[in-house]
Amino acid sequence: MTRNTEGALIVAASVLAAFGVTLVNFAQDRSLDAQTALTFLVFLIAFGGLHLAVRAFAPKATPLLLAPVTALTALGFFQIYRLDLAMGTDRASFQRWWILIAATLASLTLLVFKGTTISILRRYRNITLLISLALILLPNLPTDWGFPLRGLSVNGSRLWVLLDVGFTSFQFQPAELAKLGLVAYVAGYLADHQRALREARRRMGPIAFPEPRQLIPLLVTWGISVLILISQRDLGASLLLFVGFVLLLYAATGTTGYLVAGGFMGLVAGVASYLAFDHVQRRVIAWVAPFEHYENEGFQIAQGLFALGTGSLSGAGPGLGRPDLIPNASTDFIFAAVGEELGFAGTVSVIALFAVTVAVGLGIAFRSRDTFRKLFAAGLSFVLAVQTILIIGGIVRLVPLTGITLPFMSYGGSALVGNMILVALLLRISHEEAP
Amino acid sequence: MNGPVRRVSVGVFAGFFALLLAVTWIQVIRADSLRADPRNSRPALSERGKERGLIVAIDGTVLAQSVPDPEDERSFVREYPEGEPFAHVVGYNSFLVGSSGLENAFADELRSRRDLTISDLVAVILGRDLRPESLELTINSDLQRAAYQGLNGLQGGIVAVDPKTGAVLASVSSPSYDPNTLLGADAAAIWEGLLADPNGPLLDRATREIYPPGSTFKTVVTAAALDTGTAVPETVFPDPEEFQLPGSTATISNAGGGVCNNGESITLLRAFIVSCNTTFADLSVQVGAEDVGISAEGMGFNADIPFPWTVPEAVYPVDVLAADPAALAQSGIGERDVRAAPLHMAMVAAAVANDGMTPTPYLVNRIFDADGNTVEAFQPGILSQAMDPATAAILNDMMQQVVGEGTGQGAAISGYAVAGKTGTSMGRDGFPNPWFIGFAPAEDPTIAIAVFFEGGEELGENVSGGGVAAPLAGDLMELWLEGSP
Repeated sequence: MTRNTEGALIVAASVLAAFGVTLVNFAQDRSLDAQTALTFLVFLIAFGGLHLAVRAFAPKATPLLLAPVTALTALGFFQIYRLDLAMGTDRASFQRWWILIAATLASLTLLVFKGTTISILRRYRNITLLISLALILLPNLPTDWGFPLRGLSVNGSRLWVLLDVGFTSFQFQPAELAKLGLVAYVAGYLADHQRALREARRRMGPIAFPEPRQLIPLLVTWGISVLILISQRDLGASLLLFVGFVLLLYAATGTTGYLVAGGFMGLVAGVASYLAFDHVQRRVIAWVAPFEHYENEGFQIAQGLFALGTGSLSGAGPGLGRPDLIPNASTDFIFAAVGEELGFAGTVSVIALFAVTVAVGLGIAFRSRDTFRKLFAAGLSFVLAVQTILIIGGIVRLVPLTGITLPFMSYGGSALVGNMILVALLLRISHEEAP
Repeated sequence: MNGPVRRVSVGVFAGFFALLLAVTWIQVIRADSLRADPRNSRPALSERGKERGLIVAIDGTVLAQSVPDPEDERSFVREYPEGEPFAHVVGYNSFLVGSSGLENAFADELRSRRDLTISDLVAVILGRDLRPESLELTINSDLQRAAYQGLNGLQGGIVAVDPKTGAVLASVSSPSYDPNTLLGADAAAIWEGLLADPNGPLLDRATREIYPPGSTFKTVVTAAALDTGTAVPETVFPDPEEFQLPGSTATISNAGGGVCNNGESITLLRAFIVSCNTTFADLSVQVGAEDVGISAEGMGFNADIPFPWTVPEAVYPVDVLAADPAALAQSGIGERDVRAAPLHMAMVAAAVANDGMTPTPYLVNRIFDADGNTVEAFQPGILSQAMDPATAAILNDMMQQVVGEGTGQGAAISGYAVAGKTGTSMGRDGFPNPWFIGFAPAEDPTIAIAVFFEGGEELGENVSGGGVAAPLAGDLMELWLEGSP
């Protein structure tokens, strides 16, 4: 596949977004309006622009990554627009701005690394770590102080910061960016200590266990995860961080003991948080028996399952279902909303597009010769995969619902920015590792 | 190092595969039950405003139709032009309170297929007709309306069938409600009101509620006695004031007290004509629960009757009665544990009328497409051979004498031979439930009917099947005979 094919597929995905919006309009008895053209243009400018940025700043990057990402964003966007019509909200126009901003920032990321190499993240990894930790802790700023940067609680999770610049204000989830910084740090750390970590181990039967001293990084990450869970009540981010880290640690060392130890520590934290926090208990109740607790805890999951089941094979059709009956349909439950209107065909497509995106990311890791770039690409791909599996798995009841967004598809600017930069980083690594 | 990365990758793709399995489970295997969950309002909501098929009576009277919404030309509103008399049969389809009756049972045929789903798109490409299909019922609208008026707002149910085919000619429950009121924005409040109404207008007393059938059940006991040879019409029984229940101090007495004949003896024929309780308590014990059960089951008891909706089983508990002779005696007069809906008792009358063969009742004559072409036609069927043709002939004659000179004289129609059997069973709070089952013309029956009033304060304590139900049954059969081609 060539760069030109990538461009053609991006145009096709932009048409898909505009076509989805048009079908929704028709289904809702609205006529053809500016939304169709506006959507097409925004997608073309955002992803077409990013495509041009790749040509200019990372010409040897894989051409396989941008097309599925554009298609996923398009599928999510049409559903956000559709939910707007049902709920009387105006999220689609915000999302359009965020798509433009995210693509711009991704292009800028490519530009920043043009003159240098991604390995500077390895060299300055301690700074990256400090910035990431600061970003994670930002939402814990007081809500009611005079400083223009404030913390904010939404739905019981303290994930947001509010930047008040006088005439207007922005809300942002800094964890979405911190996620990337943490992966960079961990990849850098592991690249530097890989040999020590790999060799310092004891065998117990088939399982290799690390020296106790080498467990310190694992313990530190575990501590940060637990801290996020307690201070911000964010099960999703906490789990994502910990699982991503354990997988990367294993990938770097091949020491099975890290998986065993990580699994054990995760289990301990999970059981403890179940006993300690009622919001974790509610999630488990809703997971185990959503229909028995339909009136309260289970309502959202039950509605999600009704949406998916009613959608069945071919779906109700764009604009013809009732995804607005699902609480938080445009954020956490966008997968169920797509499943109601596009059916099994739609959900399988979404899962396949994610699988392709993750596969391309992992492919970049496989082909990388430099240890840091290999681990960084693998880590970014793991984070993307784990996040996707956690949220979709929560909707289809494979795992308890963790309340994180579906990459590229959910409504929300910070997540879009974070994930588009993630794509830019993968593209950059791919460019640097190209033969 | 690619080794461990590859192993994690395998794990990640196992995760994606698990997601695929889970959506397959939810959207393919469990889709129907999730869709049909009563808490899932999506199916009803998606029907809103769409065109649905017609429901018409066999005479062409429109019972349900979709007309363009005056406020929104692209949308349709449902109408039930005939209202109350047809409410329990036709039902309603409301986005607020769900659906019932035929609107619910034939939802798939009646719905519009004009969605933008892929399967509908495929149907367009294949050139299939997307317009909703319509139902033609076996109901005769004149008979249905007359039956509803005959019940006069009192609690009760009437079912009339063609005894040769099982086609339901009328199925009426009273009091009723106007299904049009359940379509508007205030439907939920109105529905709550109907639900709380002590007269139970939502109950379908014709096909979905069961009651003790009283002396109309003597028809079944007599069929069993004749079939087994336990008795013939001329068989002589004692004629006491009271029948002592076996193994009990309790007794059964006759309607109004006293003896049925001369206090000495009474023939089975005479006992049937005057509806003598003591004789049939005695006969029931002589025939035995097993053999009465065989006859009852032949006429549709203890079985699911195939019908557009679930009909509760008519009850004749063979095992219980076989072990309890006192209860068996009481069951002989259609009390104690015996239960049936008017639909079941109409089938009993139809079995006698149809040479002993119980017809399978059916309500929908055919399904037709938007051009009027038949998509599916329902064929008459026989449920079972309930009794010997000879037994049916003897019973037919006995039932004619009930109308000719016995308790059923109110059902007589001049110029026609009418057969019937009255009943007055013990109802709610001790009030009597009047019953009548019968058919006409007796020599070549074209209608079999069951008329039931549910006892209560309004009807009072001094009513009987012969006094209340038989005249109404006679009027309705006369209307049918005079009006039918």
